[in-house]
Formats: sequence, C-alpha cells, structure tokens
Amino acid sequence: MTRATLHDDPTLLVHAYLDGELDPVNALAVEQRLASDPNLAAEYERIEALQRLVHEQLPRETPPGDLRARIEAAVRPRHARLQPSWRSLAASIVATAFVASGATFLVLAPQPRDAVETAIVADHIRALMAPQPADVATSDRHTVKPWFNGKIPQAPRVIDLAKNDFPLVGGRLDVVGTNPVPTLVYRHAKHIISLTAVPAPGSANAGATRHAVDGYNIVRWTEDGVAYWAISDMSAADLDKFAELFRTTPPDQ
Amino acid sequence: MNVVSIHFDRGLAYTKRRSSDRPWAGSRPQEAPERGGDALKGDDENILFASLVLPHLADAYSLARWLTGNRADAEDVVQDACLRAFRAIGSFAGGNSRGWVLAVVRHSAYAWLRKNRPAAVVNVEDLEAVESTQAKPGDPDSDTPETALIAKTDAARLSAAIFELPAPFRETLVLRDVQGLDYREIAEVTGVPMGTVMSRLARARRRLVATLGRAEP
Repeated sequence: MTRATLHDDPTLLVHAYLDGELDPVNALAVEQRLASDPNLAAEYERIEALQRLVHEQLPRETPPGDLRARIEAAVRPRHARLQPSWRSLAASIVATAFVASGATFLVLAPQPRDAVETAIVADHIRALMAPQPADVATSDRHTVKPWFNGKIPQAPRVIDLAKNDFPLVGGRLDVVGTNPVPTLVYRHAKHIISLTAVPAPGSANAGATRHAVDGYNIVRWTEDGVAYWAISDMSAADLDKFAELFRTTPPDQ
Repeated sequence: MNVVSIHFDRGLAYTKRRSSDRPWAGSRPQEAPERGGDALKGDDENILFASLVLPHLADAYSLARWLTGNRADAEDVVQDACLRAFRAIGSFAGGNSRGWVLAVVRHSAYAWLRKNRPAAVVNVEDLEAVESTQAKPGDPDSDTPETALIAKTDAARLSAAIFELPAPFRETLVLRDVQGLDYREIAEVTGVPMGTVMSRLARARRRLVATLGRAEP
C-alpha cells in the first residue's frame, strides 16, 4: 500500500474502519469524514449491509463427520508401516510443500518481538505514510543537529553521506516506550532510511547485525552507549552499505 | 494532512513492495527435518498434529470449499493439506496455528486447481491491472437502493455471487468476512502485503455489491 493509494482512495479506510483495523485516532477521523461525505457514507452502508448479509446468510461449513477420522487414520504411524508407498509419497509432498509459497509461512510464524524494534518499525511506517518522513527537512547536517538540541538531552551523531548516494533528508523525533529518541532520515534512490539512535548507556559496543521484519530490513549496532537502528525497504546489501558508511565516516568530513 | 496509523502495536505494516522484493521471501525455510527411518514413528508428531491442526479442520474445510467450489473436492484438498501439515509439523515455529493451517490448505487448494482446473487459476497481475483501471462504483446522487436489495439477498444468490469472484478476491473476502481473520493474518495466509489485502477486499466487496445491488433479472 502506497501512501498515495490510501489518500487517493479513502474508501479503503472505510473498509478498514468497518473491519475494526483502525486505531482510535483514525477511526475518529473516518467517522468525521463519513459525516461530511455522502459518497463515503454510501460506501459504508453498502459494505455494512454486505457484511451483515454474509454473517446472517452463510452458515459455517461443517466438514463431513468422517473426514476427521479419515485424516487421523492417514497420519497414524502403524497405518503408514502397512503402506510402504506412503513414505515416498509423503517425502515428495513435503518437498513440494517447502518449495511452495505456503510453506514459507513456516518460518514467518509470528515471534515475540522486541519492544524497541516494534516501535522502530512502527515509527518508520508512520513516517512513510506521513506527508513528510522528517519533522525537520534539510540536507544540511548543521541544521539537523541544532534542531535536536533542546528537544532531547543529547543530539545524535549526524554524518553527511550525500557523496555516497545517501543524502540526508532530515530528522524527526520518534518515541520508543515513553522516551523521545532522535531519528535521522536518509534517502537512497527512492528508498527512505530511518536511522534511530536509542540511548543505551553502559551497553557494550556491538557490531552490525541485520534481520528482516514485516518486509523491512533492519540493521542494528551499538556504539559508545547508543544503539543504532537503521530500517528501510531497500535491499539488504544497500542497507548494509549504508550502515558501514555511517559507522566509518568521520563526522567532520 | 491525514496520517494513517493502523494498529502499529500489532506490527501491521503497509508495504507497497511485491513479494519478490521482500527480503525474506527469498530465504528458504530451513531444510525439512530429516526424519529418515523414524519418519512415521513419532508420537510427538501425532500429538502436535492433534493440537495444532485438527482443531482447525472446520476452518480448513470451509476455505477449501470456497476455493474449489464443492464439497467433494474440498475434502480431497483438506486431506492433502493435512498430510502436508503433518509432515511439516516439526518445523511449525509456534504462533498462529490457524493461519499456518489455512496457508497450507490454500497451497493445497491451488495445487489441486492447477492440476484439475487450470482455467480457474487467474493471473493475478492481469487481474489487478484490469481492476485498477475500472471506475469506482457509487453514484452520489442515488439513494443507494442497492443497500435494500443487498439486505434481501438469499443464501443461494450470495454464495453464487461469491463463487463468481476471481480466486484472489474470493479468498480474501472469505478469510475476512466468513472466517473472521484480521488483515495481518490474511496477509500471512495469502502471502501478499497488507495493502494488497486491503485493495483486494475492497474490490471483492464492490463486485458483490454491484452484483447483489442489482434487481434480479
């Protein structure tokens, strides 16, 4: 979903509203729009009528009574022994299952997520959806750094990487837990990179590690008591390169 | 200014990327565990299967029926899916077992359709291209009598209209409105970004509204 699509097509938000997918703030915004926009209100009524119809008219399917028994029999160990061909059949099935997309889900099953990471991902997504990914938009690091001063105890390290094709877009304040933290916004081609610096006093330095969350790449490292989180939808290799450049380029160059 | 934030606490991500761009899409799951000679002995597998898969049999069957269109085929698909799930059960990483089972069922259903009814499998890309060029329904001047017509639709007509939907739209609508999954779960089951789930759902519903909101001939 691009930002543009959501804005071009507010009816998607009406669907999301009816599906209970909106947070209270956006639900309120949709309600206000419904009150003033007859087009949207009509869409709302149609979808609601349809949902009610589906709910009332379609009975839940019940599987035939013997299906469960048949399946249980098929996976029961002793039956398999009596049918040698079953094993080779199953082997081919499992191979297919793993190659096919459905099985990709196996490794994507939800895992408990680090609270900081959740906040970082959420802030990045929200920034992508907002009209501007940065609260202060400037390519000049000498503008960004003072902007943070006075808002947070310690302004982040700001590195100019424009000559490496990672121009600075600006900075913004994100919130992790209840603490405001500085985020620098860089750009590479059409990709936005959010680099959040979370104070981690006393933490040992740690080298960069990368992983993926919800389709975003994240590279994190710890340096001088600050945990850095770089997140972007650009390729893993590019994000690695960005992190490497940020870590190795001296600030005053 | 209309900043949209949707249940961030649940990690909902709207991404515009296609599956081929998703960094994890290319990463293979770890190899299927080598079960070798012990492949079918495991009581553990059977216990896991009974607790993870069997509770979702009704959901599995329902999805299979909406995807294949009839009960006999749905039974075949569910049996196949259960065997796949049983074989892969050791690799289930925990979490939403219903989503996992439905993803396997969906996979089995499309495999079955490709083999037995290739015409039923639509090229999604073509479909989305056509859809996006079509005008949106909704005449602001009408009194939306279709709402009244929709409300009077009977089960048979509703089912028929749902079956007429192209598969990608149908599965999204069924997972949401019949089976009650949320957007995130649907995205995981169908393997598309959340934004695609939203647009498919909207299109499925608009098509149904257009069909059911017309007076019967």
